[in-house]
Amino acid sequence: MAHLRKTGDAVFSKVEKVNSELFSLTYGAIVTQLLKDYEEVDATNEQLEKMGYNIGIRLVDEFLAKAQISSCQNFSETAEVIAKVGFKMFLGVTAEVTNSNASEFSLQLTDNPLAEFVELPEQYSQLSYSNMLCGVLRGALEMVQMRVECTLTKDALWGDDVTELRVVLKELMDEEYKDDDE
Amino acid sequence: MRRALDRPLPRGKTEVGLSAFAFLFSEFIQYSQTRVNTADELQHKLEEAGVGIGRRVLELACLRDKSSRRETRILGILQFIQSTVWKMLFGTTADSLEKAVDQDDEFMIVEKSPLVNAFISSAPCNCAAFTAGIVRGVLEGAQFPAQVSAREYADTRTVILIKFAPEVVEREKRIS
Amino acid sequence: MLVYTLHIFNRSGTCMYYREWSRPVPNSDLKSNNKLMFGFLFSLKQLVAKISPRKGGGFYACSTNVFKLNYFETPSGHRFILCTDLSAGDMREPLRHIYSHIFVECLVKNPLWRPNEEITNANFVQSIEKYITSL
Repeated sequence: MAHLRKTGDAVFSKVEKVNSELFSLTYGAIVTQLLKDYEEVDATNEQLEKMGYNIGIRLVDEFLAKAQISSCQNFSETAEVIAKVGFKMFLGVTAEVTNSNASEFSLQLTDNPLAEFVELPEQYSQLSYSNMLCGVLRGALEMVQMRVECTLTKDALWGDDVTELRVVLKELMDEEYKDDDE
Repeated sequence: MRRALDRPLPRGKTEVGLSAFAFLFSEFIQYSQTRVNTADELQHKLEEAGVGIGRRVLELACLRDKSSRRETRILGILQFIQSTVWKMLFGTTADSLEKAVDQDDEFMIVEKSPLVNAFISSAPCNCAAFTAGIVRGVLEGAQFPAQVSAREYADTRTVILIKFAPEVVEREKRIS
Repeated sequence: MLVYTLHIFNRSGTCMYYREWSRPVPNSDLKSNNKLMFGFLFSLKQLVAKISPRKGGGFYACSTNVFKLNYFETPSGHRFILCTDLSAGDMREPLRHIYSHIFVECLVKNPLWRPNEEITNANFVQSIEKYITSL
């Protein structure tokens, strides 16, 4: 999939950029605020995912407009497009696709711009810090007719070597036209 | 097990797409709007988020700067903000640093086209409050308590107004 | 080239934007005509997919002897329909431009616009006006 990497690099070179520190510090401020508002880890994880979903349903249009990717033939190709073009375009890093088959795949990040300089304190060791990414993927894929579940399965903040998201295809949505007069 | 403190400190030259930041910031505003009732409260939330960031920026900058020299003079800390902090977050130094003509305790940092306001065309509140919060966070962390506010002008200029607490002015007089 | 109308629909059939530049025959019942249009395009898309002699592609234009309907659909389900006179050429690029440079720039990035809402954003309206009159 070398041509996808090239596409990703080309798109990233054309977009406006900001220092990743501004981005990761802002993300950190948001996580901190959510922990204050919800007080416990599960609710914070859920809210991060929800916010990610809200971002995903919009971000997909910018992706489609800028990356000019024509439709993917199968779920594995979708995975590669996300990993090499999507991630690169927005986060400046590419992900590796692992463990992929027709209905699931994992994305692995060695560098995670959301979590630079972050350490999870003991009482929040169960926090899925980058859960917003899961929501972004879920929202974006839903807009192109794929209903998925996305979870953070490994995290450098938990002591793992990489940060990993697992995406599972639940349903390919068919287009429906409901005529509400009937 | 790799822990954050064991990893080398990122050099600070990596970049992400502007729209990633824009979407994140915009969603944060949307979220905050559901938790407040007035535009003032929203602005306050943005400012508080900025303060947290400002403190962290100060820590990071000190960790990176191996000379571990601490700023004790007003001009020193303001120049630190105008150049080091601004470069770290926005990629360039702030456009200018000015002192109020007739006040010893008032200073202004002027930014001609601030990043934060660039993509929020019709914002529900003063987004520059975020930047003001960052400045206040740095100042407080460095032991320079101050009131910081930001004003956006029609020509896209943003002015961050800093009014130092009396004890800072006192200390400055003692040192000089 | 004369541009008659622009419609923007979302995936569920809501008409998010409608604009007329020139319409010698007035639009009698906007709401139900919009529904008809969406339904027609939806069926046409399905029909084309079924009867296409070769795999791939979708339709991007259809004409009567008085006007041409130019169609562009994004994978995310947004449909852009530009009705022009018959002298219009391939309008895929202009429609793509409207999507990438006006729709995405003015709306998607604006925190005040909620997806699937009607579009009232002034920046968007002005940009569309400018772009269409330049065609």
